[in-house]
Amino acid sequence: MANIANIDVAGGVVRGVRTVDYVPEDFNRRPPRYYLLWLMLPAILLLAAISLYPLVWLIYMSLHEVQLAPGKSDVWAGIDNFSRLATDKKFLRGWLTLFKYSALCLSVEIGLGVLVAVILNNNRFEKILVTIFLMPMMMAPVIAGFLYMFLYNGTFGWYFWILQSIGLLEGGSILGNKFWAMFAIVATDVWQWTPLIALITLAGLKRVPQDQLEAHMVDGAGPFRNFFSVALPNLYPFLLIAILLRFMDNFRFIDHILIMTGGGPANATKILPTYLFDVSFKFFELGRGAAIAFTLLLLTILLGLVLTIVFEDPTRKLRTQRED
Amino acid sequence: MFSMPKKALYKPISRRKFLELGGGVATALGAGSIAVGMNSVITRRPVYAYSSDEAKWRQYEGSKLVFMSENTPPSFAIRDNIQAFYDLTGIEVEILTDGLPTVQQKVGIDLRSGQADYHLNYVQDKPIGSPFADFYADLNEFSVDDTLPLDPQGYGSDVWFENYLDACGVYYERGPIRAFPYDCAVSCTFYRQDLFEQLTKDFEADYGYRLEFTDETTYKDMVDITEFFGKMHERDSSIPYGYAQHHGSFGWTTQLDIQRHMYAQNQWLDFAVDDTLGSKNPGPTNWGDAQSVKAMEGYKALADVSHPDNLTNGTLELNTVYAAGGVAMQIQYHEFAASVEDAEQSVAAGGKTAYAMGPKGAVEWNTDGGDNVVNATNCGIGGIGINAGASMDLQRAAFIFASWACSHDTQLMVLRGVGGTPTRKSVLDVPEVQEARNRPTTMPNALTFEAVYDKGIRTPNMVLGPKLPKSNEYHEIVRVGTQQCISGELSAQEACESIREELDSIHDV
Repeated sequence: MANIANIDVAGGVVRGVRTVDYVPEDFNRRPPRYYLLWLMLPAILLLAAISLYPLVWLIYMSLHEVQLAPGKSDVWAGIDNFSRLATDKKFLRGWLTLFKYSALCLSVEIGLGVLVAVILNNNRFEKILVTIFLMPMMMAPVIAGFLYMFLYNGTFGWYFWILQSIGLLEGGSILGNKFWAMFAIVATDVWQWTPLIALITLAGLKRVPQDQLEAHMVDGAGPFRNFFSVALPNLYPFLLIAILLRFMDNFRFIDHILIMTGGGPANATKILPTYLFDVSFKFFELGRGAAIAFTLLLLTILLGLVLTIVFEDPTRKLRTQRED
Repeated sequence: MFSMPKKALYKPISRRKFLELGGGVATALGAGSIAVGMNSVITRRPVYAYSSDEAKWRQYEGSKLVFMSENTPPSFAIRDNIQAFYDLTGIEVEILTDGLPTVQQKVGIDLRSGQADYHLNYVQDKPIGSPFADFYADLNEFSVDDTLPLDPQGYGSDVWFENYLDACGVYYERGPIRAFPYDCAVSCTFYRQDLFEQLTKDFEADYGYRLEFTDETTYKDMVDITEFFGKMHERDSSIPYGYAQHHGSFGWTTQLDIQRHMYAQNQWLDFAVDDTLGSKNPGPTNWGDAQSVKAMEGYKALADVSHPDNLTNGTLELNTVYAAGGVAMQIQYHEFAASVEDAEQSVAAGGKTAYAMGPKGAVEWNTDGGDNVVNATNCGIGGIGINAGASMDLQRAAFIFASWACSHDTQLMVLRGVGGTPTRKSVLDVPEVQEARNRPTTMPNALTFEAVYDKGIRTPNMVLGPKLPKSNEYHEIVRVGTQQCISGELSAQEACESIREELDSIHDV
């Protein structure tokens, strides 16, 4: 706090000097920066417009029977749209199929992605190989769906021919078989998105401290031990990002499935988002569709949180423990 | 040597300038997309009943319309010849085409939003007409408006083939006409006559009757023939499989396929409703009754001996399989004859394919022991309808196009071109078309006309199928239940009951 005082100095008294009480915390305290709020306001408003508004609208729709015809107003439905879901077999089956599909995609993509990244890391041809390896990712998912649909085709499909030639698919079908159709779609997803996991992991591998690796090797650790004990813990934050991205993608991507099987045969590949698509844009039951979308959103957030906890960076955990 | 230092030309761009440019480009793109979105134009000159024909045709000169259609031959042909319409009327028509499931979604969103971005729609009777009938203008109002250029033949049900106007234009009540028949896809059997002739002795040795396809060939015979071709394929892979059904991912495809099979026995129908009208409250379904279960067992028996990739092929894909020599028989829509007879894309061209009605039902699969079996034929009648959300002038301009697109002359032009499927009776009376029914022909689709127009669409063979507001759910439910049966997940009895349960549920029964 500022004061006005008279101060004794060598030559006499100086009157009316502004003095300040010495409070050390005050010197360290940051001055209020309310203007930052104003600077952020346009971005906040934009974000609210593109994410908050649709969310509110989604909740509104899920509580109504939405009438799209001009002049007709929506009918309040309460929680009817949600309660109907509890007895909707296709909804429940859609969840199960989604979990199966997502788990298959994630486990194969993570395993394969990490393996590819390790192989590519510090490889003599790393740059060119990475460029080639990223190509599937640059393809529109719809195009990838068409490509694989033709490759799996029982009349002229190349993959079909290969699998049949080696005796894996004797007289059968890929996309027309309930068992194989799911794996065929997972394979398409793996082909297209493993490069993303590999790319993120590769970036993580570049950040693994060299001194730790060398120290570990001096202590006699082999490459496997080195990978699991030093590289992998350092990769956790990167893997978390990769898993979160792919997990959320899998929960919303329907492109491959819509093109290749449309959820068939006999709903064997009808994951929840494809059912949501049917309800909303084939049957135009937007209220029920919104209720399905809302449950999908909630569970995606919840599972995202669980994944964040499960894949928490162990080195960070250690640092926190030390600080405590 | 003269040279200029690089730096003299290099002028670094500042961040501010970069942002300005980015903003400018974004604004231009935004403005452009808005301009593209608002692409209908309407201009009008006053006309009267006594005005000349030319004045009536050209009253909306300078206007622009958008027609959203399925990627069928008539739409391609009309798009290729749209200049003729422009020369006649001065109206520009943008024809957008896409696969039927996509058209259904786009049209549905447009109609229900009331925006009327697509003034004219391809009203395929079941997937588009049935759920969205109320959103289409009543064409009766325009059909009697003497300030519009009306078709000299008129638009009454007598000028179209049997049931066509009812199929695509009438929904749930008599009176309003929501669409004019624009094209039609009627099912008939395509089979490899060359292979039938080549293998008949082998077949006769195994099955005791000749390998031929006639109007008396039944679905039970189809099982024999398909099984025979399967066995021959195992011995010699150059011989195709016998048959494949319509499945794939689009519900309507499968529903139509099994509908033919079910109706062939005892003329079984899903609901006790008049199919020419349809119903908003169809009541309890007949699925699950003894006849449906018996017929489903027959359908499964046929599926079991069909092409191994049976469950993956929708209508279009199945035709590709046939054209590639993958199957010896298909029940296909007659518009596909043009592609099958095209030697550049089909091994079944050049007189190898013959056309016949769909197979007859099998008496053995009738549960009442009667002999009520028919050569079941069904169809997709594609109408052309006008978005009721458009302004009255846009609707009137759209009517001029709809009337022209469904006229005798335009249908004949399409038939001469990429292969149309006429809906006006008068087109078949043209001598050139009569001649084209026999090989060699310049109109391959005409080879199917006997099977389709002379026999297939006649009572009692034709089954229109139910028009329901929830048609798309109905198709999907039937598709899934049928595929569950075929894939062995459910028995015929369980599948039919599952379909019944779900259909009754969506209709609040």
